[in-house]
Amino acid sequence: MFWNIYGKRVIAGIRDKETMIWTWIFPIMLATLFYFAFAGLDAAGMLKVIPMGVVDNEQYRQDASFVSALESVSTGEDRLFDLRYFPDVNGADAALESGEIDGYIIAGGALSLIVKSDGLNQTIAKSFLDSYLQTKNSVEAVITRDLSQLGNLEELLSRVNYTEKISLSDNPVSAKIGYFYSMLAMICMYGCFQGLVSVSYLQANISALGARRTMSPVGRFRMVTYDLLGGMTVHYLSLLFCVAYIIFVLGIDFGSKLGMVLLTCFVGSVLGVAFGAMVSVNPKIKEQAKTAILITVNMICVFLSGLMIGNMNYIVMQNVPIAAWLNPASRIVDAFYCLYYYDNYERFFLNIGIISAMTVVLLVITSFFIGRQRYESI
Amino acid sequence: MIQVRSLVKRYGDLLALDHFDLNVQKGEIFGLLGPNGSGKTTAINCMLSLLKYGKGEVHLFGEPMSSDNYALKRRIGVVMQNVAVFNELTVIENIDYFCGLYVPDKAKRRQLVDEAVEFTGLGDFRKFLPKKLSGGLLRRLNIACGIAHKPELIFLDEPTVAVDPQSRNHILEGIRELNRNGATIVYTSHYMEEVEQLCTRIMIMSGGKAVATGTKEELKAMIRTGEKMTAEIYDLPANVLKEIQKLDGTFSADYTDNLLTVRYTAGSHALIPVLDILRRNNVGVGRVFSEPPTLNDVFLEITGKELKD
Repeated sequence: MFWNIYGKRVIAGIRDKETMIWTWIFPIMLATLFYFAFAGLDAAGMLKVIPMGVVDNEQYRQDASFVSALESVSTGEDRLFDLRYFPDVNGADAALESGEIDGYIIAGGALSLIVKSDGLNQTIAKSFLDSYLQTKNSVEAVITRDLSQLGNLEELLSRVNYTEKISLSDNPVSAKIGYFYSMLAMICMYGCFQGLVSVSYLQANISALGARRTMSPVGRFRMVTYDLLGGMTVHYLSLLFCVAYIIFVLGIDFGSKLGMVLLTCFVGSVLGVAFGAMVSVNPKIKEQAKTAILITVNMICVFLSGLMIGNMNYIVMQNVPIAAWLNPASRIVDAFYCLYYYDNYERFFLNIGIISAMTVVLLVITSFFIGRQRYESI
Repeated sequence: MIQVRSLVKRYGDLLALDHFDLNVQKGEIFGLLGPNGSGKTTAINCMLSLLKYGKGEVHLFGEPMSSDNYALKRRIGVVMQNVAVFNELTVIENIDYFCGLYVPDKAKRRQLVDEAVEFTGLGDFRKFLPKKLSGGLLRRLNIACGIAHKPELIFLDEPTVAVDPQSRNHILEGIRELNRNGATIVYTSHYMEEVEQLCTRIMIMSGGKAVATGTKEELKAMIRTGEKMTAEIYDLPANVLKEIQKLDGTFSADYTDNLLTVRYTAGSHALIPVLDILRRNNVGVGRVFSEPPTLNDVFLEITGKELKD
């Protein structure tokens, strides 16, 4: 009995064209779109080396401390400046004009920074120069006013970091991964359409098939349970297919905890199916209206989880935390984030627990109403 | 086999079944005949506990029927008016699915499914999806899904709607065979010829009520009209029509759309006198038809409405 209902439901679900389009093909297209649209997103967050000119005149060469300071920030992999030396101002001006450099430093009466326009690179260069001049002035003041303070000079020149940067995981910070997480959350929520099919095909007033199945000698609870399990299987297969495509074809790295990622997909998928079943259980609402409700709620949930605006989930969490905690899509996205960025599973399992609790509540409501349905008319 | 007592079903203000009574004996092909909206499908849905009803009792196989009486449901086959199959499953998968709801044993089921495929003539279409089947084949699939588990009691609700004549004959012959094999059948239709041809007993329904029940001979004997004559006439003077109406044995006579229709009282044969009157009055006559009373005549006389409406 189980394999008959479950197995045929899986076959029917896989062959269903709408399912094929929305849970198999559409996510692949969306993932591909994300891949190309956000290709430069992570690189955009990195600071680039600033092309900076220096007028290599007599005054510059004599200012040994500045030469030393400038060269110290212009060497190594994480250097700040890429220095280009010009014998005179004319050469530096021409390079600035052509955009070859973002600015140049000239040592005359004082050190000056010449720039052509405002920008991040120019601001960084000016901050460096200001910082150097401030430190130099402080040192000179100490030496001229009170030589006894010379011992504190080291303290003055040294910078103490009171915070320590600790990486929570080995995974690099990635802005685009969030979009893929939101997309996976959306697909999880698309499981609602499987729930809709399972319950609608059991309601005599919604479909002839529902009426026919209601007349069979299999209890409604049993029938809907087997059917929903079939719907969950179909939907989870589509998620696995999508995750495999993202990892193996697009080359997106979901971190080292792939098993937990798949667990999250499974739990999220079950929640989606349960949500669809719960909305569909009311026999007085027409199928088109149920579909509209599911699409609307899904779109709101995934929007608030950050599918369209990357930091939306943080905005919601800061302003309406209860909405963030109760938004199933946000919980799924957050579970993915936890796996990617955290080394411990505490918050991850909190999310999984919340998702599971929501699923249980939805399934209890569904079974409560479906077992009691009798029809006034069909 | 089926006892229904005083069943009342309302849809809001509309009384769909008005103290409906029904008795069907084992081995019968029992026909429920009536126009659309007469309550046939509602009666079946109430008997199967698919619909809630206000008053009344339904007993099947001597037991009260309820929506959770699965033991009773297991002995019943249902062929719905609307085709109820999975569009994504093939013919064989659909039949296997529905048969599997009644028969858990896989080996036994395989045999039953093969028999149902052969019975409905779907052997060449086993791997076809429903959308690839014609209307007639789809109806046959619907029937195969309803009868594959070899039920003792089968409800067939308008199984030949929108079916080509070839498929219709195939379906009707199949129903007779099911009956010969021991199944009791409740058959609803608004096609009187079908019901007349197929059913051992017939109930005529109108407005949610059983207006007459019996064999076709018993039903026809209930009415005063007998044979009906129809003649094509280009122009019939009013005085000639009056003369025909006054003729002995004439129950009614009317002339519309160049057709003279004369109904005789039961047992009368006034064809020759009518033709004599027409010849005497030099009225040109085209084709002439004469037919015995039909169930439509029974329905017309009892309800004042045409069954075909």
